Amino acid sequence: MSLLGGLLRAGASYCQSAGTLLHTVRTISTGTCCQIRMHAIPQPKKVDRWTEKRSMYGVYDNIGILGDFKAHPKDLIVAPCWLKAFKGNELQRAIRKKKMVGDRMMTQDRHDLEKRIRFLYRRFNRTGKHR
Amino acid sequence: MLRFSFIFRGRGVAKRFASSFSNESALPPNLLLPTNLVDPDRLKRPPPPADSSLPPLRKCDAAVPAHLTPVQAWVESLERQDSEPLGVAQLHPDVFAVPPRLDILHSVETWQRNYKRISHAHTKVRSEVSGGGRKPWKQKGSGRARHGSIRSPIWRGGGVSHGPRGPTSYYYMLPMKVRVQGLKVALSSKMAQDDLHIVDSLNIPTPDSQYLLDLIRHRHWGESVLIVDVGEDFSENILQATANLKTVNVIPAIGEFTLSDFCLSLNSVLTD
Repeated sequence: MSLLGGLLRAGASYCQSAGTLLHTVRTISTGTCCQIRMHAIPQPKKVDRWTEKRSMYGVYDNIGILGDFKAHPKDLIVAPCWLKAFKGNELQRAIRKKKMVGDRMMTQDRHDLEKRIRFLYRRFNRTGKHR
Repeated sequence: MLRFSFIFRGRGVAKRFASSFSNESALPPNLLLPTNLVDPDRLKRPPPPADSSLPPLRKCDAAVPAHLTPVQAWVESLERQDSEPLGVAQLHPDVFAVPPRLDILHSVETWQRNYKRISHAHTKVRSEVSGGGRKPWKQKGSGRARHGSIRSPIWRGGGVSHGPRGPTSYYYMLPMKVRVQGLKVALSSKMAQDDLHIVDSLNIPTPDSQYLLDLIRHRHWGESVLIVDVGEDFSENILQATANLKTVNVIPAIGEFTLSDFCLSLNSVLTD
């Protein structure tokens, strides 16, 4: 009995010290259930530097200078028609889209575009530092 | 120990000092070179000297300023692999001897990359996401946080508040003179590094791609060759020969571009 009591007290003190130890020491993972799995060193990706697109990139960009100005490089741009040779912020792009393509748009898209223009106009011109 | 390290450092300094006094190409004694090493500087033909006595096959059309001299270049032929150059051509120094402005080249290169760029990234705003018109639960009394719609940006499945909006264009134009100067800088830097070859005509004897590859390797023109023709018509042979090759391309003179990792060979017809 006294032995058991002594053992219990020793166990309690041990648990207390272990508890304090657990409070001070961080949890350590031994790496058994690691979620991310990958090979040691990944292979470098093979890029073909001489595809048709890469080798002929930028051809005809100087078509105006070298071709007697019959064409302009802006004619080469592949883009929606309201964005060809145009740069602007969101409001300017939306207004241009409505002007050029608005009558061809679907009703829901046009409604969303008009809401967006209304919101951006109020946002840019009535709020913030720059009005 | 300190004394020994000081002696070793001093010896290294003395060795470097001595090598700076000796000739410039002092190779280290333990250098291992591969046996099939090719040194293009020794194998390429040196450009014709400025005061060569050969009559020029082509003279400059525009007037050359008095303080500049025309750039001399060999005119070669593609008929046979090992043919000697036919003569000397004079090129205008305002195009082929321009100071190398790398900043202009960089700006022209970024312009070429960006002016055609259209980014189609698009996200829906909270008003565009379907649903979300009704207030999910009443304002007070339910114990949950107050919300006005299920598609607000803080909800899962809601709209993006500041995301990319629609097709965006990055178009801008550099001044024409800057683009022209970029072309001139590219041509003159190719000329200065012996990567520009002038050829009298683009007639090849056979439509065989291997003939072109052997010719390029024999003349040490580099890994890739861009063939630029002044006129619009090309002979069938050269079109067929370059059709299958990735690193050898033919373009008309209108389609020049300034990506300078090629060895350029220009065809300058004498009537130009």
